[in-house]
Amino acid sequence: MVHLVSSACAPLGGDELVLDVRVGAGATLRLAGVAATVALPGQHAGPSRTTVRVDLEGALEYLPEPTVVTARADHTAVLTADLSDRASLRWREILVLGRSGESPGRCRSGLSVRRAGRPVLRQQLDIGDRELDASPAGLAGKRVSGTGLLLDGSTPAAAGGPWWSRVPIDGGALTTVLADDVVSALAVLTTSMPG
Amino acid sequence: MHAAALMLADSRFPGGGHAHSGGLEEAVARGLVHSESDLAPFLAGRLRTAGELAAVFAGAAAHAGRRDAGVDHWRLLDAELDARTPSPAQRTASRAQGRGTLRAVSHLVLDTLAAATPRPHHPIAVGAVVGASEGAPADAALTVAYLAVSGPASAAVRLLGLDPFAVNALVMRLIPVMHTVAEYAVRHAGTDPADLPAPAAVGLDLLAEAHDRHSQKEVRLFAS
Repeated sequence: MVHLVSSACAPLGGDELVLDVRVGAGATLRLAGVAATVALPGQHAGPSRTTVRVDLEGALEYLPEPTVVTARADHTAVLTADLSDRASLRWREILVLGRSGESPGRCRSGLSVRRAGRPVLRQQLDIGDRELDASPAGLAGKRVSGTGLLLDGSTPAAAGGPWWSRVPIDGGALTTVLADDVVSALAVLTTSMPG
Repeated sequence: MHAAALMLADSRFPGGGHAHSGGLEEAVARGLVHSESDLAPFLAGRLRTAGELAAVFAGAAAHAGRRDAGVDHWRLLDAELDARTPSPAQRTASRAQGRGTLRAVSHLVLDTLAAATPRPHHPIAVGAVVGASEGAPADAALTVAYLAVSGPASAAVRLLGLDPFAVNALVMRLIPVMHTVAEYAVRHAGTDPADLPAPAAVGLDLLAEAHDRHSQKEVRLFAS
């Protein structure tokens, strides 16, 4: 069990964080955050970037706390995960469009997952474009976007409500939710992928 | 504009596109879209998310079709688009239209695509047809960018009884954005399929899944 702790408000503009995670066959790693990530502009102009690269033969549970995209943030988060045939992954991401009463800056969150070299899920979510944030095609005016990915060889049935869905995906399930607050988004993700 | 692209974008092309509303029927059922003024942001958002993804893959498929790519490349393109289309309802809708497109045309290049996958995704089928006819990636990308809004726009007229002239004016207003999307796609036409952009359309995915659940219980006009 490893907790990821930021020493102060982070990431700031100009920050570049790269985290390489390797979990061998038979090993289990739980990565968790202790507080929300707050994406803020730095003292000097410039984007911030977090890259997490996962090489997975064992089991990884990576459940960071929500990321709050503040007004002048310009943040990119990339998660790349390469799974072997028998690896298992549990991951979630919650993005919050600004602090209370605040419009979000920019955030691009990219996800790329392969199993045994085959593409499983590739997606990039852009936050902070007024038109896309408001459009029913994009974030439908919701303040919180949540994604949960469970790849453990299970086959949960498809389920959903007006603003969430769980769909089967290559030996697991993807849960997607749009909500007005973090508590509601987290409740959907937790219920949808218990464990 | 290449004539193959004109054929594919024509509403009289028998590819089965008329059966799909691109999430609009579910948005209407929920009251998210009920007039021309809220149809505009729906269409703009759709063009810049699902439309952009479709344009990227149509451009890449046209690039592949022009150089008569092999079965393995078509399989790779198809798998990469699948990975960018997590909603099963969206996958089914795209493959139904891709299959419909292939059935309505014939060309040796398309036999290779059909051998790779008999029900290819729609943007890949469109790109393959354009490329096989020696059209450019730009033609294919622009075609699917246009179709990303023309289908839902026509569905809105039928579902809400909106003024067809006012709705067409909305489509026309998006023409510069269609070109921006197509130009972006063209820049990626020769990119390794694994590295192609993957713009998400979270709202459309959720609308598509909800539409699918509802259509099992109640009568819907459109398949998606």
